[in-house]
Amino acid sequence: MKTFIVIGMLLLSAGCSSMGVEPWDRDVLAKEEMQLTTDALEAATDDHIYFSKEASSGGRGFGGGGCGCN
Amino acid sequence: MSKESNKNISATLATATCALLGGTIAQPVQAQEEPGWDFNTSLLYYGEDENRVQDLSVALLARRTFQDDRWMTLGLTVDGLTGASPNGGLHQNTAQTFTQPSGNNTFTAAAGTLPIDDTFRDTRVAVNANWQQPLGRLYNFSAGASASKEFDYLHLGVNAKISRDFNQKNTTVSAGLAFSSDTIDPEGGAPSPLTSMLNVGDLSNRLGEQDKDVVDIVLGVTQVISRNLIVQANYSFSDSSGYLNDPYKIVAVVDGVTGDVVPHALPPGISGPSHEYIYESRPDSRTKHSFYSQAKYFMGGKVLDASYRYMTDDWEIDSHTVDLRLRWPISDKSYLEPHLRFYTQTEAEFYQVGVVDGSPLPAYASNDYRLGGFDAITLGLKYGWETRNGNDMSVRLELYQQRGDIPADRLIGNQVGLVQYPDLDAVIAQFSYRFGG
Repeated sequence: MKTFIVIGMLLLSAGCSSMGVEPWDRDVLAKEEMQLTTDALEAATDDHIYFSKEASSGGRGFGGGGCGCN
Repeated sequence: MSKESNKNISATLATATCALLGGTIAQPVQAQEEPGWDFNTSLLYYGEDENRVQDLSVALLARRTFQDDRWMTLGLTVDGLTGASPNGGLHQNTAQTFTQPSGNNTFTAAAGTLPIDDTFRDTRVAVNANWQQPLGRLYNFSAGASASKEFDYLHLGVNAKISRDFNQKNTTVSAGLAFSSDTIDPEGGAPSPLTSMLNVGDLSNRLGEQDKDVVDIVLGVTQVISRNLIVQANYSFSDSSGYLNDPYKIVAVVDGVTGDVVPHALPPGISGPSHEYIYESRPDSRTKHSFYSQAKYFMGGKVLDASYRYMTDDWEIDSHTVDLRLRWPISDKSYLEPHLRFYTQTEAEFYQVGVVDGSPLPAYASNDYRLGGFDAITLGLKYGWETRNGNDMSVRLELYQQRGDIPADRLIGNQVGLVQYPDLDAVIAQFSYRFGG
């Protein structure tokens, strides 16, 4: 498992160096709706709900914990 | 050519010359947000069917932007919780009485119904603060703190994250660390795992206040693939230790042949449980690993947001989560966003509907439905629009459904056809308003 992760990361980093756009081609990526987290409050709400009702949490960032609901 | 553009060319040439000669010059001002406040507010209703948990929540996230891309974020959330939650008790053909978690009283579940503890009522107040700033040209640093308080629970946490840009800011690598220290103090004290539910007034099996510590590490890579596509991959490690039980959850003591919950004999004049139940027991540590990936793809105005998470832990729980959102503009100033989420998890190795009377007790046992095997689906729709004064509003309505299953070989005698996983249907309604100060 660990070997796969290391190989995956190496392939990813090798591939990444040739990907991307020039700074003047960032008009679309700069749009608010293209940010990875568009609505921080809604994301926090969802993390908290699913933390309370399921056995998994986090992934996107730190877990939605900090309550006695689990 | 205008005077203005001549000036710009001169300034650019001067900058370029200085750069070539290795000289220093004031950095040109980067395009950035104006310093000021930005507020994000929301009102949320979360309601489960059959009078289970209901939550009315108000949240505020205020962000102060300073010069040079520095931000401060302050958050406040207040939840008002009512309703009831399955306590781990089993459906029976007779009524069952339970001692309340406080140890002061009893409540009764009617024959044929799922025992739920309806004494649950709580207010939760959560605050958080975060500071973010660049460190030099390529690094970004953030640090934060969080705290929340409920009647029976206190959470205190700190976190920090650093990221570095590579490849003309097309690749960003980040590392984050969070630590939280929580205190569990239920009314009457947290029960000692695997001890019996006692008669009213008997608190001899209570441990008092208990602690739980959680360390989280998140390592991530964000990569711009093209003008329209950005992807992210994260690995998260989470280690919890301390009192990880739910102090309100119980496990039935059942007859090895009939599967019925064993009756509890009460001394005359004393009230207490009608049947034998023990408090659940979970290991005092848990290690989770998560792999998360997300892609955002711009398709001629529409934006697809797709993510997948795989989680595995040393309680033998594995889960898969797929989340899909499509932001679909319906005018210059409004959009619709359908949302679909699938979730599936396997049960914890110690998840069981009951322990057999007379057999040695297992080290760990829990009938918490959240540790069972189930699938969940969320279906939602959001409508967002820009108000006349340029602020953002949105409403969303979502339906969340959990469907579980207890393998037939886990059920004994009369439990077959009677004991079922407590399925869940919930509605999520949220109104958000974002405005600048």
